[in-house]
Amino acid sequence: MDPNAWRLLAAGLAMGLGALGPGIGIGLVGWGALQALGRNPEARGPIMTNMILAIAFAEAVAIYALIVAIILAMVVRL
Amino acid sequence: MPKLGCLSKIIIAVIVFLVLTVVGLLFFPVPPPEVHLEAESIPGLPFFITNTLLASLLTILVLVVIFFTATRRMKLVPGRWQSAVEIVFEWVLNLCEENAGKENGRRFFPIVATIFFYIIMAALLSLLPGFEVIGYGHPAPPEGVPGAFAGSYHGWIVDIPLLRKANTDINFPLALALVSFVFVEFMGIKTLGFSRYISRFISLGELIRGLGLLLRGKIRLGISAIFMGVIELFAGLIEIISEFIRVVSLTFRLFGNMTAGMILLLIISFLTPWVVGVPFYGLEALFGFVQALIFAGLTLAFAIIAVTPRELHE
Repeated sequence: MDPNAWRLLAAGLAMGLGALGPGIGIGLVGWGALQALGRNPEARGPIMTNMILAIAFAEAVAIYALIVAIILAMVVRL
Repeated sequence: MPKLGCLSKIIIAVIVFLVLTVVGLLFFPVPPPEVHLEAESIPGLPFFITNTLLASLLTILVLVVIFFTATRRMKLVPGRWQSAVEIVFEWVLNLCEENAGKENGRRFFPIVATIFFYIIMAALLSLLPGFEVIGYGHPAPPEGVPGAFAGSYHGWIVDIPLLRKANTDINFPLALALVSFVFVEFMGIKTLGFSRYISRFISLGELIRGLGLLLRGKIRLGISAIFMGVIELFAGLIEIISEFIRVVSLTFRLFGNMTAGMILLLIISFLTPWVVGVPFYGLEALFGFVQALIFAGLTLAFAIIAVTPRELHE
């Protein structure tokens, strides 16, 4: 297979596999936040703030994978 | 006009949406986007100025004008513009003071607020029309560049836009992350004193205690204390590494989110007709705000961790 095909395949795999972990992580954070909100609806402010913070942390890992995929697909010329 | 019921309003909105979609499909083709990850320099100038640098200078200008007009004739009972700026200002101040306590909050506030306002203004300004569509380029070839759907594009194809979203240049988040790193270390050293702050990273206390016990003859206690000392030394080394990794992660989080947003908007406006890109536009504005909040909030959190003395830590 010519090297460009490998490159594009690698880009697709990088983003796809790299989004598995953060997807599950963000879902878990949301689950915990919704449970806490259900038990204690008055603590809505701190719960939401900390949930957004934790989601941004988890999403950053997916963004690292996206950067690798973008570099492979659009910047590297074979 | 008779008063329209709820259902008719929905029907009218859907019809307008469909008409605009069809108009965009037929009459406004868009050339395919070319994505450069690194910022391009403006040609024709004797020195190297990138378009993201121009955008960040514009951001600074807009921020200075906003805050200057708000504080020009400050009154105790504020006018409209001053109140509007005060809302945002006080929100960031509350964020700092809630998490860091009253006096630490005031000390951390300048840098955290600057980082927040700079990032959010850079992100929001880039959504204005004119960014990334005005620039140096070449006219389309005579047969036109085919758009995604019907029609081909016969206008000006932009190779080097004059203004580009400031956060998409890797130097911008890198500079802010370095500033935040230096700020956190400086606050830690200034509050705790140099030796106490360094003892968080190079913790030789347990080792020395273990050696002392060994020399005094209590072999088993000495060896276990040395063991704990070595583990604590490793923990300290990992803390040093994590301090430096923070710079990298802050940089790439901001850069990645903003670049992905810019590419998303370019590709959506290429692939789908006119109106369909509007929800993504709003998403981009929201992401700009969230990323600014994350960056500033993380800087604040790291500063609080650095300032808290070790005994309270555990």
